[in-house]
Amino acid sequence: MDKTITVTVDGKTVKASPDETILEVARRSDIYIPTLCYLKDVNDIGACRMCVVEVEGHEHLYTSCNTKVKDGMVIFTHSEKVKLSREFVLQLILANHDVRCLSCSKSGDCELQNLSKEFDLPIENPYRHKLVKLESVTANPFLSYYPELCIGCQRCVSTCNKVVGNGVLRSSKVGTRTFIDAPFGDDWKNTKCELCGNCAKVCPTGALVAKNMSKYRLSKVEKVLTTCPHCATGCQMYLMVKNNKVVDVRPADGPSNKGLLCVKGRFGSFNFIHSPERLKYPLIRNKETGKFEQATWDEALDLIATKFKAIKAQYGADALAGFACSRSPNEDCYMLQKMVRCAFGTNNVDNCARVCHSASVAGLAMTLGSGAMTNPIADITGSDVDVIMLVGSNPEEAHPVVGMQIRQAVSRGAHLIVVDPRDIGLSREADIHLKLKPGTNVAFANGMMHIFIEEGLVDEEFIKNRTEGFEELKEIVKDYTPEYVSKICHIDPDHLREAARMYATAGKAPIIYCLGVTEHSTGTEGVMSMSNMAMMVGKLGRPGCGVNPLRGQNNVQGACDMGAMPGDMPGYQKITNEEVMKKFEKSWGVKLSRKQGLHATDVFQAAIDKKVRGLFIFGEDPVVTDANQHHIVKALESLDFLVIDDLFFTESCQYADVVLPGTSYAEKEGTFSNTERRVQRVRKAVTLEGEMRLDTDIFTDLMNRMGYHQPYLTSAQIMDEIASLTPIFGGISHKRLDDGETLQWPCPTRDSKGTPILHVGKFSRGLGLFYPAKYQPSAELPDDEYPLILMTGRVLYHYNTRAMTGKTPGLMEKEGHSFIEVNTADAARLGIENGERIRVSSRRGTITSEARVSDKVSPGETWMPFHFPDGNANVLTNAALDKFARIPEYKVCAIRIEKLEQ
Amino acid sequence: MYKKHVLKNNQRNKLIISSLNTFEKRIHANPPGVCPIATHIAYLHTARSQTCGKCVPCAKGLEQLENMMQRILDGDADMNLYNDMVHLAKTIKCTADCAIGYEAAYMALCNIKNFNDEYMHHIEHHKCHSRIAIKVPCMYNCPANVNIPGYIALINEEKYADAVNLIREDNPFPTACAFVCEKPCESQCRRCLIDSQINIRGLKKFAVDQIAVDQVPIPKRNVDTGKRVAVIGGGPSGLTCAYFLSRMGHSVVVYEGKEKLGGMLRYGIPNYRLPKDRLDQDIDALLAVGGIEVKLNSMVGRDFTIEEIENEYDAVYVSIGAQKGKVTPIKNHDNPGVSSAMDMLDQVAHGNIPDFTGKHVVVIGGGNVAMDCSRTAVRCRAASVTVVVRRRQEDMTALPSEIQSAIEEGVELRTLFAPSEVKLDENGKVTALITQPQITGHYDERTGTPTVRDADKPPYEIPCDLIFMAIGQSIESEPFAKYGISSKMNFVTDNTTAIKEHPGVFAGGDCVTGPATAIMAIGTGKIAAINIDEYLGYHHEYHSNIEIPEAKQNMRSHFGRVQLTERSARERRINFEPVENGMSHEEAMQESGKCLRCDVFGSGKMEGGLV
Repeated sequence: MDKTITVTVDGKTVKASPDETILEVARRSDIYIPTLCYLKDVNDIGACRMCVVEVEGHEHLYTSCNTKVKDGMVIFTHSEKVKLSREFVLQLILANHDVRCLSCSKSGDCELQNLSKEFDLPIENPYRHKLVKLESVTANPFLSYYPELCIGCQRCVSTCNKVVGNGVLRSSKVGTRTFIDAPFGDDWKNTKCELCGNCAKVCPTGALVAKNMSKYRLSKVEKVLTTCPHCATGCQMYLMVKNNKVVDVRPADGPSNKGLLCVKGRFGSFNFIHSPERLKYPLIRNKETGKFEQATWDEALDLIATKFKAIKAQYGADALAGFACSRSPNEDCYMLQKMVRCAFGTNNVDNCARVCHSASVAGLAMTLGSGAMTNPIADITGSDVDVIMLVGSNPEEAHPVVGMQIRQAVSRGAHLIVVDPRDIGLSREADIHLKLKPGTNVAFANGMMHIFIEEGLVDEEFIKNRTEGFEELKEIVKDYTPEYVSKICHIDPDHLREAARMYATAGKAPIIYCLGVTEHSTGTEGVMSMSNMAMMVGKLGRPGCGVNPLRGQNNVQGACDMGAMPGDMPGYQKITNEEVMKKFEKSWGVKLSRKQGLHATDVFQAAIDKKVRGLFIFGEDPVVTDANQHHIVKALESLDFLVIDDLFFTESCQYADVVLPGTSYAEKEGTFSNTERRVQRVRKAVTLEGEMRLDTDIFTDLMNRMGYHQPYLTSAQIMDEIASLTPIFGGISHKRLDDGETLQWPCPTRDSKGTPILHVGKFSRGLGLFYPAKYQPSAELPDDEYPLILMTGRVLYHYNTRAMTGKTPGLMEKEGHSFIEVNTADAARLGIENGERIRVSSRRGTITSEARVSDKVSPGETWMPFHFPDGNANVLTNAALDKFARIPEYKVCAIRIEKLEQ
Repeated sequence: MYKKHVLKNNQRNKLIISSLNTFEKRIHANPPGVCPIATHIAYLHTARSQTCGKCVPCAKGLEQLENMMQRILDGDADMNLYNDMVHLAKTIKCTADCAIGYEAAYMALCNIKNFNDEYMHHIEHHKCHSRIAIKVPCMYNCPANVNIPGYIALINEEKYADAVNLIREDNPFPTACAFVCEKPCESQCRRCLIDSQINIRGLKKFAVDQIAVDQVPIPKRNVDTGKRVAVIGGGPSGLTCAYFLSRMGHSVVVYEGKEKLGGMLRYGIPNYRLPKDRLDQDIDALLAVGGIEVKLNSMVGRDFTIEEIENEYDAVYVSIGAQKGKVTPIKNHDNPGVSSAMDMLDQVAHGNIPDFTGKHVVVIGGGNVAMDCSRTAVRCRAASVTVVVRRRQEDMTALPSEIQSAIEEGVELRTLFAPSEVKLDENGKVTALITQPQITGHYDERTGTPTVRDADKPPYEIPCDLIFMAIGQSIESEPFAKYGISSKMNFVTDNTTAIKEHPGVFAGGDCVTGPATAIMAIGTGKIAAINIDEYLGYHHEYHSNIEIPEAKQNMRSHFGRVQLTERSARERRINFEPVENGMSHEEAMQESGKCLRCDVFGSGKMEGGLV
C-alpha cells in the first residue's frame, strides 16, 4: 500500500507513510526527540516515556517510538507539557539511580547522563528515597550487571531474545521492583549464556557492561573500523585503541553482522595482539644445538634466499612450496602466491581452504562455475525465507552471527531442516532433524532427489533451460529409494520424504552447508550433491535460495580468490588457460610455470618422498590442524628447509629452520573477503614494539633476494594490481571501500556495484551441471578393533588452534580442555562416566580426553573439538584425501575408547 | 446537654463505598503473575488503615508485621527475621481484640503457609521466583492461550475471517466456544479496572455469526510427514489434537465410538445451548485441513483393542472423555424411574425426545449438567422440574447464568437437601425423593467454600415420577486398564500429557481432568499435539501469519458491558432452538472498541509478557 499522508510536526508539514512512527518521521525531518529505551527494530516497548509528544486534540501524551502517524496529525515534540513530562520521567529514573558517575565505566558514553545534562536537571532529586541495595553480579569474566544503574528499559532482554535469539536474559522482580536476571553470577559457566556481549552494547547506562569498558573513556580512545579476524562471517567491528593498545572491541553495523558480534569477536580478538608470547624478531635454528637464536632480518632473509635458491638449482623449482595464510588479508595472500610463482618459480602454492572448503571451491566450480556462496547472508536469513536446509553446519558455534540470524529467521516462522549427525543447538528448533550417519551426505542427497523425481517436485523448466546432465543423474538416483537411503544414513525414510517435500515445495529455500559436507574423502561429490539438489528444484540464481557454503576462516574465501591455489591464478583464472598465463607473464615480467602445483595435503607426502624440500609456511600450524599429526610431523622433519612466518611460536615452528615474526590484522592495512564474497577493509590500529614486519614486505624482500624484482607496495597499491589482473576484482579498490561502498565479487568495473546473488539468469559456467555422484562409504569404517566413528569440529569459544582465542583467559575458563562426546549407551556399555578421562585411540595414535556422555551423538559415534592440545583430535584423524580437492576426511575415522586404568 | 444527631455521613459513606467498589475491581483485575507477598502487603496495609488504635497487637503489631514482610519482599531478610515475623503474626492472632486485628494476622499466616516457596525464594535468592511476571490476563487464563486481544482488534476492524483464523491458530472450535465457553479469559480482564470485563465470548459469537467458520479457508497444512497418529475419541480434545497434528503434516485417524463427532459438545450439551448445525461448522472446517481420517462407530474395547492401535500407529492420543454418568447408591436407586442425566441428554441428542407430559421430574446435582438436564426436562413438557442440591445456591458449580436461565424457564431450585432414598409405591413406581435437610457448616480449606452436614430436621419428601442424577461422570476405563487409573478414576499423565511408562501414548481432556470445560479439553489437545510432534522427533512450526491491527489508544471513558440476551423464557422453554441472542453490530463495535490491548500496552510488549 503506497499511500502518502501528511502530518504536521512542530509546525512543519511533512509527507509520511502510514507505516512510519512519529519518531521516524521526526528524525527524518531533523526534529530531535529524546529516547532512552527505544532501539530501532528491537525495542519499541514505550517503557521510558522520554519520547512522548503531544498530539493535537488528545490529552494523553503519545510515545512517538511506537505510535504510527495518521493523516492530518498535528504533533508537538517540544511543548511545555511534553518538556515537563520528560523532566519528570528523568527525575524518576534518576531518583534511585546510583549517580556516582565517576566510578561508572559508561561515564561519558551514558545516554542517561547525556539526557540529564540536556535537561539541565537540579542536583537535588525530589523523588530520591532509600531503597534496599541490590547486589552487583560480577563473577562472569566478561560481563557485569549493576542493578543500581539499571533503568529497566528492556533493551538487553529484547536483544538477547529477538536479535541474538538465545533468550537467557529476562526481567525479574524483587517484589514491586523490576530488574534483569543476568546470568553473570557464580554459576555463569553453567548457564546458556553465549557471552556474546550484544546486551552490553545496547545498555544505555552502565548497568549491563562489558568489563573491558572500564579500562578506558570513550573520548580518550581511537575507534578503528575493521573486520573480525575469526570466522568468515565478516563482522564489522571497532578496535578501541588507547595509547597504541587495543583495549576493547565494539560491534559496528556491517552488512553481514548487522551490529552483532559473537564471543570470539567481542572478547577473543584482541588480547592476542599484545600477548607477550608474540614473536618479536627473526629466529634461526642453530644446527649444532638445535636451539633457536635471535637473528637480524638480513641474516634470516639471506639464509632463506640462499637455501631456497640452492634447492631450486639442485632439484628444480617444484621442490619448493609455499602455503598462504587464510587469516591474513587478500593483499598478503596475493603477494605470497606471487612470491611462490615468480621467485620460487612453481605452482606449489595453496592455503588452508585445502582442509576445509576446497571441496566447495572445486565442486561448485565444476557444477555451477563459481566456487563460492551464491547468496548473501541477509538474503538467506531474510524475513521471507520459507525453509532453511542446514547441512553439516553448526553455525551457532562456528559462525555464531550467522547462527543468530538463522535463529531470527526461525523465530519469524521459517521452517528449518537440520541434516547433521549431532544434536546441535539448532536441531532443537528444527522442524525435522535428519540425524544421519557421518559420511553419508551423497546418499542423503540422492535420496532427496529420488523423491523430487518420484513425486513430481522437480522444476522441469529450469532443468531444461539451464542445466545439463539430468538424465544421467536421474538414472543414478533411481536406486536411492527412501528405504535404501534410510539404511545407509540410519535415518527414518519418512523424515527424508518430508524434508524433500518441504524443501522442494518451498518458495524461498536456501541450502546452507559447512564442513560436515566437505571434510570427507568424498567431500567434492558431497558439495556437488548440494548443487544437484538445488538445481533440480530450480532454487539457484534467485533471492532467498542458492547453495551456500559457510566458509571457515575470516579470509579463506580471499586466499582462494587471490590464487593461493595450485591450479588457479588470482580470480580462479586457470593456469591451463594460455591467454591468462600470458597476461600474468606480461604484467609480472617473468616466465611462469604451466605445471599443476601440489595441493597442500599432498605436499606432506611429497616432503616425505623428498620431492618437496623447501617449504614456506605463512601463518599456518599444520601440526595441530592437519589430519594425522604423526604423518605431518614426519613430513616437516623430512624437509631440507622449512620457513614459518607467524605471530607465535607454534607447534609447527619446532620443526622450522627459520621463524619470521609477522604482523596481525590490527597492525596492517588490507582487505578480507567474507563468506558471501564481500570484500571488506582491515585497518591498522596499532604499531607494536619489536622487529615484526609487514608480511607483504617480508615477501617482497625475499622475492628480491631470490632474483625477482619486486618493488615495495602499499596494501592499496597491491589491491590495484590485483584489480588490474583479476576480472572479478576489477572494480575493487581500497578507496571505494573507504568511501563506504560494500562490494561483493564479481565486481568487474569501477561502475559495478558488485554481485550479491550469483548465477541469476545464467550460471557462471553457462549451463549448470548435474554431477552424477554415487554414494561411497568413508575411507575408514569402524570395525572390531576400532568400533566407533569419530567426528571433529569446533566449539563456540575457540577458533582452530586457539593461537588467538587461547590468549583470552575467560574463554579458556569457559572451555579450555579436550573432550570427547560419547553416546550414553556406548558409555554405559564401557562403564564410562560423564566427566571421566579416557583413552582414545585410532590407527594413527592415542590421546586422552574427557568423556562427555550424552545423546548428542548417536550410538557408535563420537565427536571431538580439535582446539585443545591436552588431547588433540588430529592425532587420531585420517588423512584420506578426496580425489578432486584433496581434502582430508576429518569428519570420519574409526577409533576405540577405553577407561584409563585398563 | 447531650444531643443525638441524625446520621449526616450518609452521603460521604456512599462515596467511600463507591471508592471501595473500585478497590474491589482492582482486586478483580489483579493480573496473573503478581508476587503473592507484594499482594499481601497491600492487604496488610489496608488492614492497618482499619485499626481503631485501641489495642496494641493490632494498632502497633500490624505495622511491624507489614514492615517485616516488606523486608522479605525486598530481598533484605534472613530466616531469623522470617521466624520473628511468623511469631509476631501468631501473637497478634492470639491477642488482638477484634477481627480487624486477629483476622489480618490469620490471613498473613495463611499467606505464609500457602506461598511458603515464594517466601523462601525471597530469603535465599533475594528476589521473586522466576514465575513471578505479569502476563496478559485473557491470553494467560485461556487454557488454549488464544490471542484474544488480536481477534478482538480484528473484529473491531470487521475482519471476521482473520479473527476466526487467528482463533484457530490455537483453538479449532471457535463456534462451539462462542456458544458454550466458560470464558476463563474474562475473569481477570484489565478492563475491569475502568468499568467491567470485556464480553469476550459475546464478541467471538458475533464473529462466527458474521461468517460461518466453515466458509473461512483453513490454513495450508505442512507437507506429509508419513507419520500416523491415532486419536481415540472424537470430542473437542481429540479433534483439536488431530487438527494440530494434521497442520504439522502428520496423518491422523480419529476413532469415535458414536455415530458422529463432537463428543460432549454434541451428546452432552443440549441443542438450545449449542446448535448441532453450528457445531458441524467447526468440525467440517477443522476436517478440511486434510490428513484426518474419521472412523465412526469404532470403539476401543468393543471393535478392537488398544494394543492393536498401539501397534499400528506411531503415537496415540487417548481422549475418550468422561461420559459415564455416576449414580449415588441411595436406597431404591436401581429403579427404571431413576437414571443418569448423561443418559437422558444422550438420548435427547440422538433425537429420542421423551414426552414427560404430566410427569414431575427431580434432578439431583448442582453443576451445569444438572442445569442442562433440568432445562431439557422442561422442554420435554414435564409438569414440574425440581433441582435438588445438597449445598447452597452460591456454592453450586453451574454457571450463575445457567442457573438464572433455568429458573426463568420454571425450574425450581431446592438447596440444602441431601437425597437419601427413592420412595416407591407398591408397584415399584417412583413416587418421591426423600431428602435429609442440610445445614451449612465450616469452610473447607481446600475448596474455600462451606461444607454442609445433616441438619437436625426431619426428612423431607419431594414428590416425583422421574429422577435424574447429575452428580458427575467417570471414564470407560476398562479397555485402557494397563495405563493405570487414579483414585479419582481418571488417567494419569505428566504435564506434557504423556502417560508414564507407555512411550508414545498421550491422554487429555475429561478422561484426565474429570468432567471439565470444553476449552480445557481443547487446550490440552493442542499441548498434546505439540508434544506428540516432539515425541516423533520433530519440532514443526505451524503458525501462519495473520496481521493484527495496530493498537489504538485506549478508550478510557467508562462504558457498561454489553451483555448477551436470551429469547423470552416463555418461548424458549417449548423447544430446543438456540436460546441466546447475538450482539448487534453496534454493540460489537462498542464492546470490541473497549479492549485495552494488553498485548501491546503494558507487559504484553515485553519479552515473555504475554503468556
